[in-house]
Amino acid sequence: MKPMLSTDLNVAEAAVEKAKIEVKNLNFYYGQSKALKDISLSLPERSVTAFIGPSGCGKSTLLRVFNRIYELYPRQSAEGQVLLDGRNILDRSQDLNLLRTKIGMVFQKPTPFPMSIYENIAFGVRLYEKISKAEMDGRVEQALKRAALWTEVKDKLNASGLSLSGGQQQRLCIARTVAVKPEVILLDEPASALDPLSTAKIEELIDELQADYTIVIVTHNMQQAARVSRQTAFMYLGELVEFDRTEKIFTSPREKRTQDYITGRFG
Amino acid sequence: MTTVSEATPLSSAMRSRDATVRRFAFTDTVFREATRSSAVLVLLILSGVAVSLFAGSWEALSKFGFSFLTTEAWNPVTENFGALSPIYGTIVTSAIAILIAVPIGIGIAVFLTELCPRPLRRPIGIAVELLAGIPSIIYGIWGLFVFAPFLQTTVQPFIIDIFHNVPGLSSLFAGPPYGIGLLTSSLILAIMVLPFITSITKDVFDTVPAVLKESAYGIGCTTWEVTRRVVIPYTRVGIMGGVMLGLGRALGETMAVTFVIGNAHRISASLFAPATTISATIANEFTEADGQLYTSSLVALGLILFVITFIILAIARYMLMRIDARTGA
Repeated sequence: MKPMLSTDLNVAEAAVEKAKIEVKNLNFYYGQSKALKDISLSLPERSVTAFIGPSGCGKSTLLRVFNRIYELYPRQSAEGQVLLDGRNILDRSQDLNLLRTKIGMVFQKPTPFPMSIYENIAFGVRLYEKISKAEMDGRVEQALKRAALWTEVKDKLNASGLSLSGGQQQRLCIARTVAVKPEVILLDEPASALDPLSTAKIEELIDELQADYTIVIVTHNMQQAARVSRQTAFMYLGELVEFDRTEKIFTSPREKRTQDYITGRFG
Repeated sequence: MTTVSEATPLSSAMRSRDATVRRFAFTDTVFREATRSSAVLVLLILSGVAVSLFAGSWEALSKFGFSFLTTEAWNPVTENFGALSPIYGTIVTSAIAILIAVPIGIGIAVFLTELCPRPLRRPIGIAVELLAGIPSIIYGIWGLFVFAPFLQTTVQPFIIDIFHNVPGLSSLFAGPPYGIGLLTSSLILAIMVLPFITSITKDVFDTVPAVLKESAYGIGCTTWEVTRRVVIPYTRVGIMGGVMLGLGRALGETMAVTFVIGNAHRISASLFAPATTISATIANEFTEADGQLYTSSLVALGLILFVITFIILAIARYMLMRIDARTGA
């Protein structure tokens, strides 16, 4: 099957901006069933890309290919190419732990580790860097400031990460991800379990982080995609239907299916 | 059916509904009382056991008083009884068994939940459960006829040789190698409690949310780091519960221990020396106990074991309850 998408525009853009991640003819299988069908797209460096689409369209699956977290489970397999800075991360020789330090991930539900707030952040840093206590204190503070959480937790760094509210926990998870200095941050519906205020904080944060990181966000919330992202990919039934600049997708999409989805007339 | 439909006149509909409600109330009452009396029965049995143990041991306890717990002597001829050496044997064998079984059990559980290739998972899991199904008498005869002679001829001489110049350890592993003794029963007990610890640990490991493990892998953790820093801290209360249940089992185990412990009422520094436990003493001596005081002393031993086990199990339940409350939240 030919990809339905004409990629002229992407190519034109990619020529201007360096692509951080390039996906080429990616297919993904859960056992026998094919969840991603011949996906090709390229994500420019230091910008936010949103994946939207109805449930089960494969957007989270695509995200989970980028750090190969799917390999924790048997019978899931990907074929094709995903190039990170030109190197294929699906290659057998790719070291998974190293890959995951470069590509951080934040999940839908906050997942603080069962340890103190300080340790939640120091833990990941300590895995790959030997640094002094003073340096570590600095790193923790910097990461928490980055995630706009510092003022709220600076007096209780030794409290359990589980004692924070949902929104704070999620920012802790972002801080933890930022602390290991990744190059790419994957966000899998990071705000869907949060109240509007916490959501606004997370979105602000994403906006700030894109100065330094390449960010990919999966979201069900189309206003959110429109607010935070520079380019948006609309996926449907495992196919990439349309990928373009966000204003274009939301104002004058090329595909009828995209238009139907963003105007809520789908299905 | 007695549902109200539009066509039925209101009064008759109400009547039939009343009848249904009354019928429900009746079956409800029967059901509630039946389950309540089952539950009460358990309490009655439990308190019956406690009361009869207490009554049976009254003679010994009133004669020896508190010194029953602190006397090592056990002399049926002079009728001088003390529980110290069975208590010591019970606690030491169980503690060593737990020390050996816990790391192995956690290791098996980690392997089964995190590392094991899928086709091997069930066979290994079933093999571990089967270990729990082996009757203790079989562990006993295997221990006496196969395991103890093996220890006697190979392992024990070797260990005695290595440590005979090391202060401390030389008395802990002092000869002669009998084969049977404290350490042998600890090893047998370790094998017996291993399946309990393994299966509970495996179950609580399965309660760790996949997404929590994914986040740990997601910042570049290896399986060891995920297990050590995330899975075990998250489940530590449940693991403690499993350990306590295993400990409860080890404390009460009778048959296998009786075969291999040597049944000697003495406390020695050496782990190779014969010793005894509470349950082994009772099983061994009940038939030959002549005289009220002798019998009563054995019942008092039973009471002590009852209390120890009760405390251990209560702690285990409490810990399991706490992890349930947390995963439920």
